[in-house]
Amino acid sequence: MAEICCEEAKSTPATAVAAASVSATAAAAAAVAVASSALERRRRRLEMRRFRVASDPEELVAEDVRAAKRQRLARTLSGSCPDAGSDSDRPALPRYGVTSVCGRRREMEDTVSIRPDFLPGTSKHNFFGVFDGHGCSHVATMCQDNMHEVVADEHTKAASGEETAWKGVMERSFSRLDEQAASWATSRSRDEPACRCEQQMPLRCDHVGSTAVVAVVSPSHVVVANAGDSRAVLSRGGVPVPLSVDHKPDRPDELARIEAAGGRVIYWDGARVLGVLAMSRAIGDRYLKPFVSSEPEVTVTERTDDDECLILASDGLWDVVTNEMACEVVRACFRSNGPPAPAARPNGVALPAAGAGAEDGSAVVKGVGKEDSDKACSDAAMLLAKLALARRSADNVSVVVVDLRRGI
Amino acid sequence: MDQQGAGGDAEVPAGLGLTAAEYEQLRSTVDAHHRYAVGEGQCSSLLAQRIHAPPEAVWAVVRRFDCPQVYKHFIRSCALRPDPEAGDALCPGRLREVSVISGLPASTSTERLDLLDDAARVFGFSITGGEHRLRNYRSVTTVSELADPAICTVVLESYVVDVPDGNTEDDTRLFADTVIRLNLQKLKSVAEANAAEAAATTNSVLLPRPAE
Repeated sequence: MAEICCEEAKSTPATAVAAASVSATAAAAAAVAVASSALERRRRRLEMRRFRVASDPEELVAEDVRAAKRQRLARTLSGSCPDAGSDSDRPALPRYGVTSVCGRRREMEDTVSIRPDFLPGTSKHNFFGVFDGHGCSHVATMCQDNMHEVVADEHTKAASGEETAWKGVMERSFSRLDEQAASWATSRSRDEPACRCEQQMPLRCDHVGSTAVVAVVSPSHVVVANAGDSRAVLSRGGVPVPLSVDHKPDRPDELARIEAAGGRVIYWDGARVLGVLAMSRAIGDRYLKPFVSSEPEVTVTERTDDDECLILASDGLWDVVTNEMACEVVRACFRSNGPPAPAARPNGVALPAAGAGAEDGSAVVKGVGKEDSDKACSDAAMLLAKLALARRSADNVSVVVVDLRRGI
Repeated sequence: MDQQGAGGDAEVPAGLGLTAAEYEQLRSTVDAHHRYAVGEGQCSSLLAQRIHAPPEAVWAVVRRFDCPQVYKHFIRSCALRPDPEAGDALCPGRLREVSVISGLPASTSTERLDLLDDAARVFGFSITGGEHRLRNYRSVTTVSELADPAICTVVLESYVVDVPDGNTEDDTRLFADTVIRLNLQKLKSVAEANAAEAAATTNSVLLPRPAE
């Protein structure tokens, strides 16, 4: 498995299949075979971001410094203050992997936000968000930059640390982001980069929006808030447990809500609100209010010893990969990588040069550097993205895999 | 529109949002430019938008076949297809290639300029190709000035289009009307903003200079 991921450009389909047969179950082997058979054909078209862990301790230290610098730069560019604490105070990172690819779409409009230990005064709450933009990318970018701060702010205001408070925290947070999206054009600060939809007059971008699937992972619970058709799935004892339900316009309760509000859903290349938008909830999209709501559905799930992983991804993955297949791919990557190393993560390969885009504040993934990720989770995220592309997903694909295993 | 009932001519079409007095002033425009021979498997619709701006200011925006994104939603980019004979002139037969933003049930649209009458303020185009479900779409937009009960500009936009397989007339009309209504609302915003800006400029020019 490692050979496939790390030696992608050099592998032949036969080698990939052989490696798969050694280390994966039949289902995962089939997935790998399908993915690898497409690799050569798509290699030139992929805009894959890779995440690897440095194997050399000295290089690891150097990368820590560079990562911290990049994080501070990204945060400054996105408007937040740099951390007051020193680098040595950084909390232990969650074990996660992330990948995001443009795929067959003309533009990359997905964003990912990963914010370890993001709640002030509360330890070990990690924020993960996948935002799939449409119409333009600025709403998804705004969610990437601001959602975690708004959630932290609402959590502080809620005062109560009880799990029942999370529903209100998330609903208010999504509402605030929706308001920010509506006023984005007029309130945008001068130094923020203009996006292409702003070239048009007047400065109103009512037809831009984004899905938002957000997870807050604490030692005891996983909180998920979702608006739109991205998705969060937990793998528990080998069984996929959906933590969100896609907001498609023809979902019976969504259809009823839309029609009660005076809207209509028609099938025009799939079920669409007024024949236009293929999801029933989103941040932004003011022109389709009140039919397209920004209110999230929130689940609070207590963690158990059987939990293996959490997968957050955009519909570019879920349209072509089942929950079962996704969980199986991750479990196969976990098995092939063995138990995760708690500290230095010695299993890994040389770190490639940092990719373009990571330094200018407009990276697809924000909040963490590439070397912060866990190898097994990164392998899983990359493999899932490749599988989606091999199955001809027609969309951007963004995948976050979080290792929830305990005691290791 | 042909589907109106025998007594329909005396009434304002449902959903148009105009008063009887307004519609009466527009009747000749509707009769001349907004009636179609609607065949089997086709549907048609007429929409109206009041705009508080001079008709010439509204027309200046509507007639931009080369730059529809000024007042139309959902356009990512638009390029006129080069025509060596016509150069930059906008005249019937010109084609434009429209690229549509993501998230919609369309990605491109090839459109032909059918009619551009600056004297009568009539603009017409048809969709000749692209990746979308609107086949044999033809549209006409007119800009008219009303004087009664108040001075006002009214834009009428009408179209005829095939009903795609698997959809009903209602579906098709809902989809097309939604897009057009949004575009007309944006046209109103743009034209009124332009008019306000022009008025401000005119006022500043006309203000008497302070005594020197």
